[in-house]
Amino acid sequence: MKEDVIIFDASVFSIDTVKRALYRFADKCSFDIQLKDNEITVKIHTDSSDDMVARIKNEVLDQDLRDTLAKETANIRTLILANAFSNTGLIQ
Amino acid sequence: MALLGKKFKLLEVFDQATNGQYQLLPSRFAALDDGRYLLSNEVGEYLVVTRPDLESFIRKQVPANTDFYHDLKSKHFLFDDDSNVALDLLALKYRTKAQRISQFTALHIFVISLRCDYTCQYCQVSRQTDDKHAFDMSEETANKALDLVFKSPSPAIKIEFQGGEPLLNFALIQYVVNEANRRNEKHQKDLQFVITTNLSLLNQEVLEFCQAHDIHLSTSLDGPENLHNTNRPRPGKNGYQLTVNGIKKAQSFLGHNKIGALMTTTEKSLPHVKSIIDTYLENNLDCIFLRPLSPYGFAIKNQQAHKYDVDRWFEFYKEGLDYVLEINRQGYQFVELYTQLIINKLLSPFSEGYVDLQSPTGAAISAIVYNYDGDVYASDEARMLAEMGNKKFRLGNVHTDDYEGIWLSDTLLDTLECSLSESIPMCNDCGFLPYCGTDPVYHYATQGDVVGHKALSGFCNKNMKIFKHIIHLLEDDPEARKILLTWVRT
Repeated sequence: MKEDVIIFDASVFSIDTVKRALYRFADKCSFDIQLKDNEITVKIHTDSSDDMVARIKNEVLDQDLRDTLAKETANIRTLILANAFSNTGLIQ
Repeated sequence: MALLGKKFKLLEVFDQATNGQYQLLPSRFAALDDGRYLLSNEVGEYLVVTRPDLESFIRKQVPANTDFYHDLKSKHFLFDDDSNVALDLLALKYRTKAQRISQFTALHIFVISLRCDYTCQYCQVSRQTDDKHAFDMSEETANKALDLVFKSPSPAIKIEFQGGEPLLNFALIQYVVNEANRRNEKHQKDLQFVITTNLSLLNQEVLEFCQAHDIHLSTSLDGPENLHNTNRPRPGKNGYQLTVNGIKKAQSFLGHNKIGALMTTTEKSLPHVKSIIDTYLENNLDCIFLRPLSPYGFAIKNQQAHKYDVDRWFEFYKEGLDYVLEINRQGYQFVELYTQLIINKLLSPFSEGYVDLQSPTGAAISAIVYNYDGDVYASDEARMLAEMGNKKFRLGNVHTDDYEGIWLSDTLLDTLECSLSESIPMCNDCGFLPYCGTDPVYHYATQGDVVGHKALSGFCNKNMKIFKHIIHLLEDDPEARKILLTWVRT
């Protein structure tokens, strides 16, 4: 079992973003996560021979983009869905 | 000219759409391969983009006068001052995709008998051979089930007879077909019938009845004789011969398009995908469905499902699809059905009725199962699970529950609520979401949880691999793309 540590700056990435990224690696790793002094410390435990540190860092970047996309489009998404189901009798 | 001048703006006007002022429309992305991403929107339109392009799109840094900007705009990933019609168009397409939900249950599966003359290792429902009637559906049960069938708002109804071997209870099939047709004089639905049968009992009487009532036949063909007979043992060891004879008889009597075949993949099938496909060609079948072994019924009891993993199955599928494309290149149209299903999801706005690839799940919305004893299950897989002793997805019984009681049961509503990809971790922001589904019964069978952790899910792993492979073929292999486009149903 290998152990690695990655530290993220909490003013750059939210804890939710980091957690969402880590969730995707549940088949390969387990994690200890700590938020202290504006730093998110992730301790990685893994048997995988892959470079998990690099993969996790890239996934955190992707999740950060996903968060931006989701936040920016939340209202428009609601608007489109309301429009799609108007006049169908399915929504009040 | 003056009139045209008023109607059409000059090119520069469109290019003036102010840089960086565009609005993002809802979309998702997923890594495709090294360096490329699939970007898809709510209605399944997609672009394959590089990481820098993806980032510049989301950071609103794409210059307005570029091809990339026009692609993003025309496929509804962004809108600007010039094009807020995108919202209406997206709503319209979304409604088209969701249409199936309002139409509700179209496929009604009647388990006519659990008896069977085969003893297949992987059989997903118990087979009983001694007591002739304890495992047959009765007329009374069939009538109650028909009451429910005709309550469905779907304008098209398909009744599929399954088993065991349904032809062992052929008298009841005749009864249900006649009774359904009689009732349909009032309801005027587009009514179709399918018998799923191993064809052992296909005789002139059955063929004439099928012809008279336009009934389709669906059979099992696992590959060449050795493989078929090993997978599907039958006393007398003549299962293959009976099946191919039956296929020929049905093709010549009913017509080429009135019979189809499905295969089940076992560990023994894995090295033989080409000869399996050749068997289909030899029997004049024009499509194949390269299916994985499902984790239900006897398959899981016998540990068959664990004997090969998704990666090995995917190699089998990929080799098979390559071979199918090669056959098409030689001028013979032959289709792999799962690929066709996904191609249609990728390239058309219409929702496919395939239960496993729907959100919310197609269980009970698209298809429902009436077991021989009147128990109602959300899907065929739910029935298989019940045969293993777990009745988690039993929705009720035709003798004791009414339509509202079954379709509004807590079991079904809870399952539907848990099966919306849009709210499932890892699915909700996945670029493949518009093409995928959730399969709560699979996740319950394998992880003990209807939602399941997708990082551990064979269903997710399998579908991601298939999506990526098909998109790779569409993007990077012009010859394959040309063939795959001919598979889109119009």
